[in-house]
Amino acid sequence: MKHFAPTIRTVLTILLALLVGGIIMQLSGKDALNAYGVLLNSAFGNPRAIANTLLTATPLIFTGLATLIAFRAGIFNVGVEGSLYVGAFAAAWVGFTFTGLPALPLIVLCFSAGALVGGLWGLIPGYLKARLRVDEIVTTIMLNYVAILFTDYLVTGPFFVPGMSNAMSAQVAEQAQLPRLVERAQLNASFILALVAVIVVAWLLRRTTLGYEVKTIGSNPLFARWMGMPVARTILLVMFISGLLGGLAGAGQVLGVHYRFVSGFSRGLGFDGIVVALLGRNSPLGALLAALFLGALRNGSSTMEMFTQIPRDLIDIVIALVIFFVAVEISFGWLKRRTKASASTEAEQKGQADGLA
Amino acid sequence: MDSLDLIVNIAAATLRLGTPLILAAMAGLLSLQVGQVNIGLEGLMLAGAFTVVAVGFATQSVLVGLLAAIVVGMLLAAVFTLVVTRLKANLIIAGLALNLLVSGGTAYLLSILFGTSGTFSPPELESLPSLYIPGLSDMPVLGRLLFSFSPLVYVSWLAIPLVAIFLYRTVPGLHIRAIGQNEEAARSVGIPVRARQYLALMLGGALCGLAGAHLAVGDLALFREDMTAGRGFIALAAIYFAAGRPGFSALACLLFGLFEAVQFRLQLASSTPPQFFQMLPYLMVVVTLALISARKEWRKGWS
Repeated sequence: MKHFAPTIRTVLTILLALLVGGIIMQLSGKDALNAYGVLLNSAFGNPRAIANTLLTATPLIFTGLATLIAFRAGIFNVGVEGSLYVGAFAAAWVGFTFTGLPALPLIVLCFSAGALVGGLWGLIPGYLKARLRVDEIVTTIMLNYVAILFTDYLVTGPFFVPGMSNAMSAQVAEQAQLPRLVERAQLNASFILALVAVIVVAWLLRRTTLGYEVKTIGSNPLFARWMGMPVARTILLVMFISGLLGGLAGAGQVLGVHYRFVSGFSRGLGFDGIVVALLGRNSPLGALLAALFLGALRNGSSTMEMFTQIPRDLIDIVIALVIFFVAVEISFGWLKRRTKASASTEAEQKGQADGLA
Repeated sequence: MDSLDLIVNIAAATLRLGTPLILAAMAGLLSLQVGQVNIGLEGLMLAGAFTVVAVGFATQSVLVGLLAAIVVGMLLAAVFTLVVTRLKANLIIAGLALNLLVSGGTAYLLSILFGTSGTFSPPELESLPSLYIPGLSDMPVLGRLLFSFSPLVYVSWLAIPLVAIFLYRTVPGLHIRAIGQNEEAARSVGIPVRARQYLALMLGGALCGLAGAHLAVGDLALFREDMTAGRGFIALAAIYFAAGRPGFSALACLLFGLFEAVQFRLQLASSTPPQFFQMLPYLMVVVTLALISARKEWRKGWS
């Protein structure tokens, strides 16, 4: 029973946020119960609705995993959004450049390029944190904007396609476009890849030396150092994996949804990853569930807007409230530990630097 | 004469575009000095922008709207302070949530109250009147650079020394900096930590309200969804770039304002990609932070 307590608390915070959202709707003179009914129906009401919910959840699964693996190591990586953009562009570039390749090798190459470039992008703040102790929160926020603007430059400059109304790259080769899983819905193979990623990350965290090191560094960096763990190397590796997962999210959107790189396409998928990691309590399975929940909200909200004239922005309010409530409630748990942990990293790294001198 | 005209144009645009950055940076500075990195500047500004337009439209008075923007900025900042201090929520997460709440909330209200989405520019709403002093404002160059702006530009200039004096020359300001240095030590000598945290963040909220108001009614009179467009983070960048000093932060804001001004003109005149100038503030912060840390490490290595 004790094991389920956090889950119950999470469900309660979600219900509380939905309740406040309902009150807001009632105050605006709308029928909240009807609105939530429409939302639920358009998120799960029929196979196609479910497929769309899974489609919306797919990038969030990746970005949630990307965020939580960093959180686990005590790294506050806000930069998944940036990795997602550069990874998406890399995947698109491979997709519209090597058009002569057959389907499977091309798709594998696209995803690999997205993962690699996303991972390398994550290494920039990773290196700055591991070697120079530059706070990763500020650098990752700043680098997000750099990634968004840089990819925008790429599709308005060197990879400009004349005749397009919006800034976007050329279309990827037809055989690179991911197969769809059900009829009349965009749900595609990247969802399967996301499920595989959940299993791999869970395995990585639970069954490997890296996972043990990540956990130890996240909860007690001083102990990790004394145990002789390669702290700097682990930080680099975690940031690479985190960026890699962000890159996969971007590649999946390019190959499965847009079929090209569209400037500014993400609109916060990386940020939603933070919400997913937070709601999922830093566990891969939890992140999967949280991503499905968020996917259902976002997918349902556009239909809700159509049928009830309630602006879908209401869902942003609800999600923001969920974050507030969970952040307040969780503050008595791991985040507090994290603050302490980073304080001791600092003290301990100072000690190490002095030792070198 | 033509090139002088261009320079004056760019300088005036720099001062205008730098204004919301300076106001937000001063807010972020107050927050940083009390030990709270404020990611929510963006949201607080956006709330100010919406409020000045909505209340200004409802009351037919842009001044009432301006006051309302200040009040809303302070109220939101108070809630934010409550969440991150007494309720102990993580600062960054709470800041991101605040931004999402305001972004979604203003778009929702725009649709519910005014039945529109995207942009709301009621023709009845006037922008803040620009300063005009007969004689002074008519001077050839100085007139345009000193005496022709919307009032909030001057407020932003005033805010720089005021915030600096407040932080470094008054008792509450010293308290705020002491709390930022070491909260426990500050508490142990009897500084009212909670009250000072509210003070710093709520003053910041007021400044952000003004910053948003300048965006909305400084030159034009309109509200656009997410019209702050990352300016809260550019202000944050300016603070980090200037290592938390008020005067230098303001200069950095003007520098970033200059990038924005130049970028508009280059877009028309040359092939330099506009994104290059848009990226510069963010890149400069990352490079600066890296250099500062590298120097620290290097010194340690030699001492």
